Amino acid sequence: MTRETGTDSKSNIRRIVRKALKATIKGAVFYVVYIVLSQLLAPISEYVPNIQQIIETFATVYVSLVIVTELASGTIFQYVLNTAKSLFVIAYVILSLKTGVFALTAENMSLVIDLRLFLAIGMLLGLLGLAKSVMQTINYVNERAELTQL
Amino acid sequence: MKVPIRMTGIATSVLWIFLIIFCVSALYSLKDVQVQFGEPRISLTQDNEMLFSLPIGIFNNGLYNLGRFNVTTVIMGQQDEMLARGSTSLPIISKGEAVNITHQMTVNLTSLLSTYQNLLFNDTELQINATASITAAEVIPVQVSSNLSIPWGAPLYDFTLGPPEFTVIGEANSTVSCRVDVPLSFENHAFFDLAGTVRLRMYNGTNVFTSEGEVAIEVGQHSFYQGSLELYLPASFATRNGYFEVYFSTSLFSNGPLVIPYDT
Repeated sequence: MTRETGTDSKSNIRRIVRKALKATIKGAVFYVVYIVLSQLLAPISEYVPNIQQIIETFATVYVSLVIVTELASGTIFQYVLNTAKSLFVIAYVILSLKTGVFALTAENMSLVIDLRLFLAIGMLLGLLGLAKSVMQTINYVNERAELTQL
Repeated sequence: MKVPIRMTGIATSVLWIFLIIFCVSALYSLKDVQVQFGEPRISLTQDNEMLFSLPIGIFNNGLYNLGRFNVTTVIMGQQDEMLARGSTSLPIISKGEAVNITHQMTVNLTSLLSTYQNLLFNDTELQINATASITAAEVIPVQVSSNLSIPWGAPLYDFTLGPPEFTVIGEANSTVSCRVDVPLSFENHAFFDLAGTVRLRMYNGTNVFTSEGEVAIEVGQHSFYQGSLELYLPASFATRNGYFEVYFSTSLFSNGPLVIPYDT
């Protein structure tokens, strides 16, 4: 009995460590992607003053959600957080790109960049992510129901 | 259910990565596109139209082709109305390609000078709205617009009639005649040579038409003109004051009457 409890707690610790490690790796990968992107966008940020802040806020929230989702894996909260992540992506794409047309004025010159196509594609991909999260949730609830019946 | 979920996840991730990389690299490669504007030139065509030429050099050193390059310039009037419009387009600029084009815009000088007569006498600056558009990576439309101004030199800058000099020249049929010498001067600040005539109609102090005369002028660009015009009239019509009506007639424009009073 004592040995079984000891094995359970060991496997629990191992599972938590594995989750934490996975979350750390995922977080680190996303952070590296963010660093590379911000480096690439550095020349553009001279012309679009708040682009760095937009990406920074997005990366912070997204990486946090990725880490928390990974830590909550194996529970219903993982799917709830996944859905929240997808909704956040859609909302952020809409809010940051607004109409999808960036207009800047400097001295005697005005610059207009039309990103409506990317806004539309981004939103569609966000919806695809949301659909995936919903499907995962349904699948998880379904599996749990089957286990309970057994 | 797990396989479709996994496939959806993979497809979403791949598409996101592709979208972000493509969008960032397309915008990033714009910084490697060099656009150089040459010295704008103004000349006169054989049809007496003002030709505005702007040489443009584009070197696409970016990662993608550039599509639908277009430069449009519009000359605006003083009430923000459009006087002339010119557009130059290129369907595609491949990566690594250097393209040199000349953007041209023609302005009907006759129409311009008849609408805006102050351009005949006053130097000013013509306002030009210039818009350049391009589709980065043939997908992202980018547009830059700016206001430019080009100097306009008046062809009859500082047109002046000097005080008329009356000289009695003789008596015929009991009528005394006199000659009137009217000095006239101006500077041709325009980019074109001026050739035509200046006609004067003289009215005395009681608004009675007294005489008229014409002089041919031929003035090169950026040159000063000084001459005089002779008028003949009966001495009884001559008064100390009155006014002249001035009419200009050249191959580019006709203008008049410009009323200039005199007082000797």
